[in-house]
Amino acid sequence: MDKDNILEVKDLRVNIHMMEGELTAVRGVNFEIKKGETLGLVGESGCGKSLTCKAILAINDKKCEAKGSIKFNSDESGEVEILDLNPKGEEIRSIRGKQISMIFQEPMVAFSPMYTIGNQINECTRLHITKDKKKSKEISMAVMKKVGIANVEKRYNQYPHEFSGGMLQRALIAMALVCNPKMLIADEPTTALDVTIQAQILELMKSLQKDFNTAILFITHDLGVVAKMCDRVAVMYLGKIVESADTETIYANPQHPYTKGLIGSVHKIGGNREDRLFSIEGTVPLAMNLPVQCGFYDRCTVAIDGLCNKAEPELVEIEPGHKVACFACNHEGCKAECERARKEIAEREERERKEAELAAQEAALGKNKKKLFGRRA
Amino acid sequence: MSEMNKENILEVRHIHKRFTSKGITVKAVTDVSFNVKPGETIGIVGESGCGKTTLGRCIVRAYEASEGEVWYRTEAGEEVDFLKVDNKKMKSIRKEIQMIFQDPYSSLDPRMTVLDIIKEPLKANYPEMSKDEMDQRAKEMAVKVGLNPMYLMRYPHAFSGGQRQRIGIARALVVRPQIIVCDEAVSALDVSIQAQVINLLRDLQKEFGLTYLFISHDLSVVEHISDKVGVMYLGQMVEFCETEKLYSKPMHPYTEALLSAVPVADSTFKMERIPLQGEIPNPANPPSGCFFHERCRYCTGRCITDAPTLKQMPDGRLCACHRAEELDLHGFDLEAMAKAAEK
Ligand SMILES: Nc1ncnc2c1ncn2[C@@H]1O[C@H](COP(=O)(O)OP(=O)(O)OP(=O)(O)O)[C@@H](O)[C@H]1O
Ligand SMILES: Nc1ncnc2c1ncn2[C@@H]1O[C@H](COP(=O)(O)OP(=O)(O)O)[C@@H](O)[C@H]1O
Ligand code: SF4
Ligand code: SF4
Ligand SMILES: [Mg+2]
Ligand SMILES: [Mg+2]
Repeated sequence: MDKDNILEVKDLRVNIHMMEGELTAVRGVNFEIKKGETLGLVGESGCGKSLTCKAILAINDKKCEAKGSIKFNSDESGEVEILDLNPKGEEIRSIRGKQISMIFQEPMVAFSPMYTIGNQINECTRLHITKDKKKSKEISMAVMKKVGIANVEKRYNQYPHEFSGGMLQRALIAMALVCNPKMLIADEPTTALDVTIQAQILELMKSLQKDFNTAILFITHDLGVVAKMCDRVAVMYLGKIVESADTETIYANPQHPYTKGLIGSVHKIGGNREDRLFSIEGTVPLAMNLPVQCGFYDRCTVAIDGLCNKAEPELVEIEPGHKVACFACNHEGCKAECERARKEIAEREERERKEAELAAQEAALGKNKKKLFGRRA
Repeated sequence: MSEMNKENILEVRHIHKRFTSKGITVKAVTDVSFNVKPGETIGIVGESGCGKTTLGRCIVRAYEASEGEVWYRTEAGEEVDFLKVDNKKMKSIRKEIQMIFQDPYSSLDPRMTVLDIIKEPLKANYPEMSKDEMDQRAKEMAVKVGLNPMYLMRYPHAFSGGQRQRIGIARALVVRPQIIVCDEAVSALDVSIQAQVINLLRDLQKEFGLTYLFISHDLSVVEHISDKVGVMYLGQMVEFCETEKLYSKPMHPYTEALLSAVPVADSTFKMERIPLQGEIPNPANPPSGCFFHERCRYCTGRCITDAPTLKQMPDGRLCACHRAEELDLHGFDLEAMAKAAEK
């Protein structure tokens, strides 16, 4: 594992066992996050963003099965393969909440309504930092102050319902940051908030990141927020990463038709208001019994028939740090990927043809046998 | 008061809405007035809880306003106060003003088929219409909004968010209204689906000459779709004017702060954010004077005691701030951004 990286995810797959069959919600995801960096993970609802995060923390529920590799690297624990750990064991618990912490979309769900906010933040402090009651309360309060909660003495003893949405989100950030995690996973942390409060929270996260050199995996479907927050972006579609690059490149030079569509769908303030918005027709298919084809094929306007509907493109590096998985991308690396796919298709079709021939022969043989047997009988 | 301006289809005048429970009164909407011309789209923006939905509901009479008038020019050319017309009249004109609701997941009855959902307003407004004609009109409308007619016998749970929002739009449009109040009509949708629905709303507007009140907290979407925008804060309308003017040169300090917080989908864009101090005050116990004074960086002594009213500014816009004319506030550099958008 590269020593600059804090996390390396390789070929991550998450299957969900359902009554109707097996749902492959995450279908081979690859990315890495450097220490202190913010990686944005964007994509439509249901594309597998949250499941990816949960796999990193090993908190997926029983129906879900994660395969592949998630390597986490810190000074404290060294290099760890998270998928090998017992999800209830000692080791993952020393990572979860302490070295990697998470901010959820719905702050209301993250807090128990039964205990005061201060109590709940303090529990984290006492679990991971110090058992000393007085010290731990001091630390907890200091963090609450740091995230911009005014009047901490009073707020410490209040219950979640006494906080507004924005304040609660701050408290959640305080809880996530109280043990100075090496990495923060933020799943739509501001989606439920108003723009003014959103702006405050985003700035807060940025400044805290600077202070503690925390790496952030930032999940959102808001491209405006991505532009503000992230160093690099990975675009996810139907359980796969289809493009990744640094933020500027993603906006200035997107290559995958889905990325282009996403960026085009957002009206830009100051843009021509008479123009129709670019829209991606159709919706995301259900990731069950998917045919062998590009996941975006049904919605893609530049699909190459005979290729895109017969093979799935792999992620290829087209410029240093810029990866894309699309056959129509005009780049050497992608052309090579097309070649690979064409070969794969040809081989498969050849194999299928042979199998069909064989089957036909066998069938004919069977008939003959029958005839033979028939005659004999 | 009566007599509408000939140019207007709707004149909202001094609407107030108070909710009282357990002896506590919340002023959800306070003295909101604005005019709308036929075929216009008016955006209404503001933070959660500022009264956007309540205002919309008062206008369509889903809530009874505590005070105020909503003058409306009917399709037949009559001028009526929509809030005071009697039941008989209401029966004949109710369909002319429709509302699309905030949440595509909860606003459709799960026990009704999509066809029945779209037909429901027809049943309510045209009791004499034959069943066949209703089916016919509902199907036509379903196709218009891009729903597959094969799916009309299904139940709402089988549809995605974008499709449900289309069902909501078809239901609002099937009675051929003049005005539609869209409450956060695209907010719950993914951006790519948002774009589909916004384009659809625009196409339908052109085809049927519709007038929209477009309620949203998303300032980018509102800039795209609206001719004029009203900004609300704590139940009051604080600024109302043409979209370009509002975004490029706001006159109310709250508008300025709101604009500065908008995340722009362009990584090279930088704008200084104007921090708002403190939290939105409790609407049950609003501050004295200007409701915004505790959070306003331009507040002076007068703001603490005197409440500003919505007044016409020299450029024709409406603004409720004592210092509006002397302040030089900042908005977006729309020209530069247009150039960037073109690239
Ligand atoms: N516990 C579960 N049981 C069954 N299906 C699930 C479960 N969790 C997720 N899924 C399905 O897996 C897919 C990916 O879900 P995930 O929550 O990761 O999406 P997401 O990208 O986070 O979407 P959103 O933007 O809406 O949060 C979806 O089709 C979802 O319905
Ligand atoms: N039915 C109701 N009963 C009591 N208070 C209400 C009701 N509906 C809205 N309110 C209050 O009125 C204010 C405005 O709410 P709303 O119009 O829903 O805001 P918005 O749509 O701008 O988010 C809020 O303070 C809200 O809590
Ligand atoms: S691989 Fe083909 S179908 Fe997939 S995005 Fe590229 S062009 Fe479209
Ligand atoms: S009236 Fe005073 S406090 Fe209110 S917005 Fe204007 S300057 Fe600010
Ligand atoms: Mg999610
Ligand atoms: Mg609302």
